[in-house]
This record gives sequence, C-alpha cells and structure tokens, in this order.
Amino acid sequence: MKKTSTEPYVSTYLHSKGRRLGLPIAGNFELTARCNFNCPMCYVHMTDAQLRSCGKQELTAKQWLDIAKAARDKGMVFVLLTGGEPLVRKDFFEIYDGMREMGLLISINSNGSMLKGEILERFLENPPFRFNISLYGGSNETYRNMCGISAYDQVKENIRALRKAGVDVSLNLSITPYNKADLPQIYADAVELDVNVRASSYMYPSVRVNGDQYGCGNRLGCRESARYSVAWDLLRFTPEEFEKRAEAMMKLEAIESDGCPVEAGEGVRCRAGSTSFWMTWDGRMLPCGMMTRPEVNVMELGFDAAWETIRKETEKIKTPGKCVSCRYKDFCGACAAVYFTETGRFDGVPEYVCKRAEEIVEYTRRAYEERKAK
Amino acid sequence: MKIKKELIKRDIAGDTILVPVGKTVYDSNGLFVLNELGTFIWDILPQAENEAEICRAVLAEYDVSAEEAAADIAEFMARLKELGIL
Repeated sequence: MKKTSTEPYVSTYLHSKGRRLGLPIAGNFELTARCNFNCPMCYVHMTDAQLRSCGKQELTAKQWLDIAKAARDKGMVFVLLTGGEPLVRKDFFEIYDGMREMGLLISINSNGSMLKGEILERFLENPPFRFNISLYGGSNETYRNMCGISAYDQVKENIRALRKAGVDVSLNLSITPYNKADLPQIYADAVELDVNVRASSYMYPSVRVNGDQYGCGNRLGCRESARYSVAWDLLRFTPEEFEKRAEAMMKLEAIESDGCPVEAGEGVRCRAGSTSFWMTWDGRMLPCGMMTRPEVNVMELGFDAAWETIRKETEKIKTPGKCVSCRYKDFCGACAAVYFTETGRFDGVPEYVCKRAEEIVEYTRRAYEERKAK
Repeated sequence: MKIKKELIKRDIAGDTILVPVGKTVYDSNGLFVLNELGTFIWDILPQAENEAEICRAVLAEYDVSAEEAAADIAEFMARLKELGIL
C-alpha cells in the first residue's frame, strides 16, 4: 500500500500566499446531491424524489463554469469535483472539460462504480490530477448492506483499470458499523492496487440532511470508533512504525495525521474559508461542506462578494479556548466543522470526540504493551 | 523551439505556474513554477529558433552579462529537457 498521497509540492506555498492575500486557492464543487449509492451516514445524499420535492435545483453546467471562471480569476488553482456521485450528472464532462481548459488542477471524489466503458475511456484520454475513490467495504455483501448495491467487484475492477493506465488514485475509507469487520480485506485490496488509503472511523453528524440533530449520526460509538482507528493503524504501519507512533502518543506528543491540514490555535485553523471554499449543489457557498453556516447564495451575490463574505464570517468563528490546552488535542482531530456538527456551536466542546481521543491513546497503549509482551 | 507537453500558464498573484492538462498529467507530479526569468523565456520559447536567440532576448531585457545569461538559460533549458517538456 502506498504510505502517502502526493500533494502538489507548490500547494502549501500557494495556500500560504493565498492566506496572506485572501485568495480562494482551492474550490470544492459539489455538483449534485444525487448518488447511485444510498449510504446511511452520507452528509448530503438526496434521492431523486427528495430532490423533486425540496423545491431547489442543481446548478446547470453553464452556471458551474461561470462560477469556476470567476473563482479562477480570483486565483483558484485546485478544484475538487464531488457529490453525491458527480458522475451521475449527464453533463459531467461538459463541466470537467470546461474547467480543464481554464487551467485548473482537478481532483474527483467518486464511489468508483461508474468508472468503466466510455466514461473510463474519456478519463484515460484526459485524466484528472487524482481520483479519490471512496471504498465502502471488502465484499459485495458489505456494499449491499451499506450502499444498497453490490458494487465491490465492479469498483475494484475499475480502480485496477485506472491504476493500469497510470492514473493517480487515492482511497477514502469511512469505517462504520457496516464495514468494520472488513478492514483486513480492505487493507489487502489497497496493497494489491498499490494505492494510498485515508481511513477514518470518525463520522461527522450529517447536519446538512438531518437538520439540527447535532452530535447524532449513523456511526460507531466513541469507544468502538477508537478501537477501529487503532485496528487500522495496526494494519497500515509496520511494527516499528507503530511502536514509534505509540511511544509518542503515550507521551502525548503530536503525531502525523492524514486529516485536513490544521494549525494550532483558536478559530478556524484549516484552509476552509481562508483559502478554500465549498459550493453546494444548489449554489450556496460554505467554508466547508460539513457546516451549514456561514453560508452565502452565490447566485444572488456573485462569486467575488460571496467569497469576501465567507472569508469575513469565517474569521469571526471562535472555537473552544479550553481545547487549546487539552492534553489530547493532537489526537482528537477536532476542527470548526467538528465542533459545529457535534454541538451546534463553534465554541461547544464535542464530548464524543474528546472521549474518542482518550480511547485512541488507551487502545494504542494496550496494543503497544501486548506487542512488547510478545 | 517546440514545447512537447500540454501546459496552461497561469499567473497567481505574481507567481507563474504551469498546469498540466491532457495526457501530460500522467508524467507530471502536479504543477510547475517559473521564476521571473523562467517566465520570460517560456513566453518567447515557441518563437525562438535556438538558445542563442533566447540569450539575445534576455540580454536586451535584463542587465546581466552574456556569461551569466547563457549559464542561467542553459540550466533552465536542461531542466525543461529533463522533464520532457522540450
């Protein structure tokens, strides 16, 4: 398995410059809330029937391209096309090709099930910088239970075809009650396919689709979430790597994380609302796709004014001061989106996440001692 | 001189970057960044016949010695060839 994913080496530099100058360096474009999968923990998914009855409409390809052009003119370089499943849009390539011609470096989030036939051929001719494919399990049965479709074999075949052609693929893995038993198989698949996996047993509460149900979610309990987080560490690290990491954790020293890049301190510490933005499928701008506020309607305000509003509103966000001095701050992964989705406030302490961080350190300690005893 | 790769030039707040498109994505690891001299050379590359012509253009634009200009141009061109861009 690849141990790291490759971020463009100038990305950090451009984001640093963008932060200083207030530039939107990266844009996340959620092209649709529709998906051919039906996963219970999804933060955005709507069925066709829900979409019809909600009174909102997806932006057209032209509207997406107009927004992308305005963002590019303000400095956007990196684009993530996501959903839902972006490939369910019949006009996907109109959007994709148009953005490529603008000189944007594009990554795509996909469940991987539709990357075959003509769609695959088009991507092989004009590949994105990277595909981030969500892997939901290690068997057709798990896919059926979790996503409502037995797509495991097809997804794996599609990833194999992309890798054979030389397309960069990274896997995202959400560890849930439905697929927790599949971790060894998923790891074996990642090794076979020679791809990096970004796994997380933490699921944000889906407040975008479930209204104000903060702190709720179709997810593992905090103790079990910690247990499977460590189970994945035991699979992905060599014994020496795991021991080194465990020794640092037991001393409560910072460890390398493959989550969003964050800086120390209060407020929003990642790139959200500072150098990156999220466009929802119906034309609203958010700092991050997990939040429901601050939000601005880009179709009413225009891109430039929307970006300035989001930047200013994001700067006002204050996260809990007590977290800055917490002993477990380097292991919880808490960010503004976590605080908000767990508690409904940006300054609320997310107890589930706090407990989970303590348990991760404890499970790591136990695994370390068991290994040493052997 | 012929540029073999599909690259789109972008100016981002004073920096010049080259974004790979089409099949160039397969053999590039992201973006290329050009400094000021690199940007100047990049812009005249398609019309230039050879390095000597580029050198004359650089000397007309910048206050540098012929030796310095030739060395910098040779280094830049070698890098482009190494990356398969030229």
